[in-house]
Amino acid sequence: MERLDDLRVEVARQREMKWLDMFCHWDKWVKHRFQKVKLRCRKGIPSSLRSKAWQLLSDSQKLLEENPGKFEELEREPGEAKWLDIIEKDLHRQFPFHEMFAARGGHGQQDLYRILKAYTVYRPDEGYCQAQAPVAAVLLMHMPAEQAFWCLVQICEKYLPGYYSAGLEAIQLDGEIFFSLLRRTCPMAYRHLKKFKIDPILYMTEWFMCIFSRTLPWASVLRVWDMFFCEGVKIIFRVGLVLLKQMLGSVEKLRELQGMYETMERLRNISPDTIREDVLVFENGRVCVLTFIMNLTLYLQSVFFLFFFCTVRFMRASNGTETMPV
Amino acid sequence: MQNNHHKERLYKILVIGDLGVGKTSIIKRYVHHNFSPNYRATIGVDFALKVLTWDQETVRLQLWDIAGQERFGNMTRVYYREAMGAFIVFDVTRPASFEAVTKWKEDLDSKLTLANGKNVATVLLANKCDQGQEVLTNNGIKMDQFCQENGFVGWFQTSAKENINIDEAANCLVKHIIASENDMLQSEVPDTINPQLEKEKRGTCSSCFRSQ
Repeated sequence: MERLDDLRVEVARQREMKWLDMFCHWDKWVKHRFQKVKLRCRKGIPSSLRSKAWQLLSDSQKLLEENPGKFEELEREPGEAKWLDIIEKDLHRQFPFHEMFAARGGHGQQDLYRILKAYTVYRPDEGYCQAQAPVAAVLLMHMPAEQAFWCLVQICEKYLPGYYSAGLEAIQLDGEIFFSLLRRTCPMAYRHLKKFKIDPILYMTEWFMCIFSRTLPWASVLRVWDMFFCEGVKIIFRVGLVLLKQMLGSVEKLRELQGMYETMERLRNISPDTIREDVLVFENGRVCVLTFIMNLTLYLQSVFFLFFFCTVRFMRASNGTETMPV
Repeated sequence: MQNNHHKERLYKILVIGDLGVGKTSIIKRYVHHNFSPNYRATIGVDFALKVLTWDQETVRLQLWDIAGQERFGNMTRVYYREAMGAFIVFDVTRPASFEAVTKWKEDLDSKLTLANGKNVATVLLANKCDQGQEVLTNNGIKMDQFCQENGFVGWFQTSAKENINIDEAANCLVKHIIASENDMLQSEVPDTINPQLEKEKRGTCSSCFRSQ
């Protein structure tokens, strides 16, 4: 057992060394060996280096460097009362049991207020959307407020453009795209949802807008975010499809879901066990972590998927906002 | 539908109103009999189920807890579909949330009507009445008048925290839902045949046997 622990520490240390090496020559890695970066993100970024990695992957570090003092400047602005009012009401309602955000007026809630307010000053036309708060909170768990702010900017503008905008059109459109993808990847789940008239926005809104931060067990959330920062929104689609396949993908599973309410209940409260079953593979008495997303990636990499995905996202890009590589 | 006495009734009920007025807390109190100051902000929509016994019948209430931020209003058409009743909630300590009540009512009535064209039964909840700031609702006559003018079947001062009037408000809503349902059933004339001419679907002789 002791030897096993030593081995694990050794593996973790090697991973950290690899990541530190990538940090030293980051631009070269991204330009010439992106596949390797992607693979390493899929294996999970070492937690000690996650903060730096997210900032590099999202290019938010560059944005920060290009805009010295900008965050402070935004903070000094008074901000619009209608946004500040809503933000204040949400501060104690994000990860209420996380030690950082549990205390009313504690430093976590203060920082959350700072970055959400700064964003409404930065993009007055966008304002504040309630789904931004959990995203900002996850970022704050990993980095200081200024860094978290620029990372949030990248998520809202580069990764998920339009998701938090006033009309919420982008998320509704992605809901429809998601549903058509489901039809091809898991017809059984698709037919079940169709039969009970369960519109995609009833379950995927929170999944997508909060990047699963309120949906999955914490270890999985971080792994999903590692991949999301590297590969973009398609990761959200894939995770969503795997979840539906896990929960609605077989006759036995559907047998107990004989109604709209039962189905929604299942989708709203994903039991960690249903995920863990697929996440963990027991091998020689040793727990080998194999994320369900890895399976999913292999599963979904059909030519058709990529083609369809490119087409639809490209259609959306006609708004001039889409920049994610597929 | 004839077997009314033994059937289970299932009603979808919406809970709407501005953000932070206590929609989630009201539902948790009603369904799980508890209160916590630590509920997360609702994003999109959440659900809960309450089972009641009503005149020896089982009544299932499917409560739809809908995010209060205005921009989620773009999705309300989907959320409202097939609902039979609604609570509109405001916070007695925040006059702005009361001003939004008519806006929510209009949104609801414009997107949802019963099969007979009538609006769904809606009860107004003046929540957080434990906070001792019910200036808004002190004048009961005015509130009654407001309800009448705006098409609410009733209103209650509630507190999810102190468990005040939650069950009463729900019973009031259920009573009106059942009444409007009975109303609709009665307006249908029973045991009648509606012959219709369907040129497209004229079957062969053998289909006469199949249909019975």
